[in-house]
Parts: sequence; structure tokens; C-alpha cells
Amino acid sequence: MAMMTADQYEESLRQLKLVVHMFGKRVKNVVDDPIIRPSMKAVAKTYELAQYPEHEDLMTATSHITGKKINRFTHIHQSLNDLVKKSKMGRLLGRETGCCFQRCVGMDALNALSIVTFNIDQKHGTKYYERFKTYLAYVQENDLTCDGAMTDPKGDRSLPPHKQSDPDQYVHVVEERKDGIIVRGAKAHQTGAVNSHEVIVMPTIAMREQDRDYAVSFAMPSDADGIIYIMGRQSCDTRKLEGTTIDMGNVLFGGHEALVIFDNVFVPWDRVFMYKEYEFAGELVENFAAYHRQSYACKVGVGDILIGATQTVAEYNGVANASHVKDKIVEMNHLNETLYCGCIACASEGHREPSGTYNVNVLLANIHKQNVTRFPYEIARLAQDLAGGLVVTMPSEEDLRSPETGKWLEKYLKANSNIPTENRMRILRLIENLTLGTAAVGYLTESMHGAGSPQAQRIMIARKMNMAEKQRAAKRLCGIADPQ
Amino acid sequence: MQTPNKRMLKIGVKYCGGCNPLYDRVAAVKELEQKLQGKAVFVAAGTEEVDLILAVEGCSTACADLSPFQGISIQMILTAEDVRKALEHIIETVRNRPCIG
Repeated sequence: MAMMTADQYEESLRQLKLVVHMFGKRVKNVVDDPIIRPSMKAVAKTYELAQYPEHEDLMTATSHITGKKINRFTHIHQSLNDLVKKSKMGRLLGRETGCCFQRCVGMDALNALSIVTFNIDQKHGTKYYERFKTYLAYVQENDLTCDGAMTDPKGDRSLPPHKQSDPDQYVHVVEERKDGIIVRGAKAHQTGAVNSHEVIVMPTIAMREQDRDYAVSFAMPSDADGIIYIMGRQSCDTRKLEGTTIDMGNVLFGGHEALVIFDNVFVPWDRVFMYKEYEFAGELVENFAAYHRQSYACKVGVGDILIGATQTVAEYNGVANASHVKDKIVEMNHLNETLYCGCIACASEGHREPSGTYNVNVLLANIHKQNVTRFPYEIARLAQDLAGGLVVTMPSEEDLRSPETGKWLEKYLKANSNIPTENRMRILRLIENLTLGTAAVGYLTESMHGAGSPQAQRIMIARKMNMAEKQRAAKRLCGIADPQ
Repeated sequence: MQTPNKRMLKIGVKYCGGCNPLYDRVAAVKELEQKLQGKAVFVAAGTEEVDLILAVEGCSTACADLSPFQGISIQMILTAEDVRKALEHIIETVRNRPCIG
């Protein structure tokens, strides 16, 4: 099958029989729900851009299994160039959508599994790698969107999975059968879950032998029996129900997150990629985390949008030529391009794994992500600085349209007389959307916690920084003849 | 005497991925297509028997994958200004092509 178009992707979602809950009710039509639909449109962009010659070089790749052209989101990285293109693709899509486009987690899960299933087989003589490749071929052939599900609710963080008072705080095997396993648990913060065809589950922490029942990785259709989705709220989410557009800020796209429940889900063996090989749980986590930390290239694209909006509002306000405004715009760009440096560096300095998959430089991926936990907040702060207080006090679109109040808003919210008041309102709402509205979920807090919270990167940086070489070099320069 | 024929120059267009382009690459190609009407036909880069590859790069990094086009003449566009140079070069190429028949 050729790559799907955006329309075909949307139609494919309509065939799914997802069990989705939101605001206390079962969502009957997920694809057209006004709160969920913008997020579907964002994922659809990953399909749409792959059809355009002007984006083909980033959005598509050649499958190393079939030799066919595939969407890069289903590709296993075969070179450093692939890793660099993945970063660039993230920036492109971040700029095209201004939000979380959700499809990267599945790509990162596939790549991590391509490495670890191979390594498990090498040690244990299992057949996970072949099983995984069969699954991968299916994903590529059908151009599927996969949700990469790692984060368990975790319960009491001071206790390992097997000591939790509620054993379901981590996804685990509750029954082993001849034809497969039954699993129970949940995965939290699942980006794009209800826009996905498949869910790929991975453990969330390194494990010991007592946790072997929790060392499980598998993939299931997103509408498999027993999988239940409870949508997460987002700041300003119900603006999408107001029937207006200005106040949404981003009138086209958005993201979503969900709590995904696995209520005694049956998984056939051919979809199990790790089963009780607990010593590989940490390796799977680290490989997925490295890839996913690289994936925050997307925030550079979203940063492009925020910077463009900030420059625009400065022009609308008539302050764009003030020296401090220019300097703040430069600072925003400095921070944003520094993030870009990070995602390109970790890709360029990648390496080949025994399975043949190319992986990012783990230290640099963590450096990049550590910056992502900080710089968007400063970029957002500068955006709000230059937007002015009106970004949070502005009356609604309904007031603009009202025959009674519209004339006052037209009069008093106009800045540059050549710019329609509505345009000023629109750009301010976009800045609001990105810095404290629905898109701030992705641009700020997900930047903080996605792919691991800040401390997780500091742990990896501490592990990977080459301190011995730094000390050797320092001692040599000051004449310390230290054999150690 | 028979009037000499020239097959139109077949130009394969290869874009970079456009992660952060400094100019409108699609508009640049459309401009060239318009100005070369009757002299050149623009096709996808992977098409057989192209005479020239037009590599439309959004910036000086020029990261479009050109490895499949070894042995084929490549005309690079890296900036909006390069469109004019590309046009001149392509017109010269058309002029110097041998006639058919």
C-alpha cells in the first residue's frame, strides 16, 4: 500500500472502535469531536506533507526492509543523515502546526525496540527481533500512527513495581496463556493516543528480578478489547466549544493527552517484544528516552511560530524598532536556535547499534532535552513581555462581534492604524495559546516533563560526561604528574 | 532544408525538506517554469532520462539527498537570487543542446 493521504488517515481513524471518555461522558464520535479534532488534524499533517515534493526529502525515507518509500515516522534510522533529517522533520512540523503533532513517540518506540529486541535475542536466543520486524513491516506497509506508551502512573515513587500496594500502578502480566498474555495497568500522559492506530507499550524504569512480571513490551491495535482512554484536560480546552475562532488562538491545530487503561487486555505472542527479560527494561527505557529527547526538535518549530507572532505583535503595536524590543527578539532567536543546535548535534554525533539501527549521541540528546526544559519558558516570558498585558486581559471574540461592544473594541484595541483590530486580537490570542493556553501544554509543561523530567536528564548527563578525560587534560596542563 | 528539432529540456526538480527555508522554494520553481515555457519541462527528480537536476535548497546547508543523481548535471538554487542565475544557465544549456533530426 502507498503512503496514506491526510484524508485516508482521517478515514482510517473512523474505522476504529475506540472507548474514549471525556468530561464524564463516552465520546461517540472521536474524529469529529471539536476538542479532539484539531489534534487529529495535526497528526494528519504528517501524512499530508509526505505527499509534497517540497517536503519529501524530510518526510519520507526508504524502508530498509522492503525498499519502498515510507513515511519517516515509520522508519528505522539507517544512517546519521536519517537522524539529522528526523530532527529537521520535527522542526518543520512544529512550525507547520504550532503544537504537538504527536506521531514522534511511536517512531521512537519502534527505533528503540529495533535495538533492544536484537540485543535480547543475542543474549537469550529468543526470536523477538524477527517478530518485531514482522510487526514493523505491517506498520510501514499500512503507514500507521503508533502511540509509544511508556509512562506508568507509578504510585508511590519510593517503591519498586512489585512492592506497590496496588500492583496495577505499573503495567504487568497477570496471566500467561498458550496463545499470549493478559496485561493490566495504565499508561499516563499518552500524547495522541486516540489519533493512533496502534499502542506500543514499554516499561518505564529499569527493573530487578522481583519485577520480572512488569518487564513487558508489546503492541496492540488501539481499539483492542480492554483498552480505555480518558482524555486529559488542557488549559483553555473548552474554547474549542465556543463556536468562534479568534479566541482559540491556533485555529487549525492542537494536541491531546490521555490516560490509557489496560483492563485485562489479551496480547498474542506475536505482538510481544519483551517478556520478563527484566535486565533489558532499563536499556529499552534509555534508548527510547534518548530518541525521544532528540524529538524535542519540534519545539524549535513551535518556537519559530512564537517568535514570528511576537515580532508581528511588536510591529502591530508600533514598538518593533525599539532597541530593547529588537534585542529581546534576538534573544528569543538565540535560545530557539540553541535548541536547534542540540537536536542537530545529538543526531550528527550518533552511532550504529549492533542491530544496524542508528542511535543518537545519548549525552548530547540529554543536553538538548535539558535545554528544552528551560528555554521555551524564557522564550514564552519574552513573548508575553513584548505582547503586553492585553494578551491576558483582552475581551472575547463575541464582544468584538457584538453590535453593542464591538465598536469600543475596534476603537480601543486598535494600535497601528493600518492593521485591523481583529488581526491584533488574533496574533495576541496565538501568543496566549502558546504561552498559557492549550498549546502551552505541549510547548511548556511537556517540554519540562516529556521524555523524562529535568532530573532524569541530569542523571544521564552525570553518567555520560567524560570526567576522567577532562581531569586528565586539566592535570596535564598544570603539570600534575598524577598516575590516576 | 528541414527545420532542426530540439526535444524540450527535461528538468528533474529535487527539493530539500524545507525545515527552515530562507525563501519560497515552490514559488521559485514556478517562476522558472513560467519563464522556461516552451524550452523546458519540469518533472519529479526520480523521472527517467532527465537532462538536468534542479536542486532547490532552502538554505546553504543544502541537505537535499542528491546521491541518486550521480552522473546527471545539477543546478543548485540556495537563495532567491540564485533563481536568476539558474534561469540564465538553463537557457544557455538549451541553446547549446544538439538538435534532433
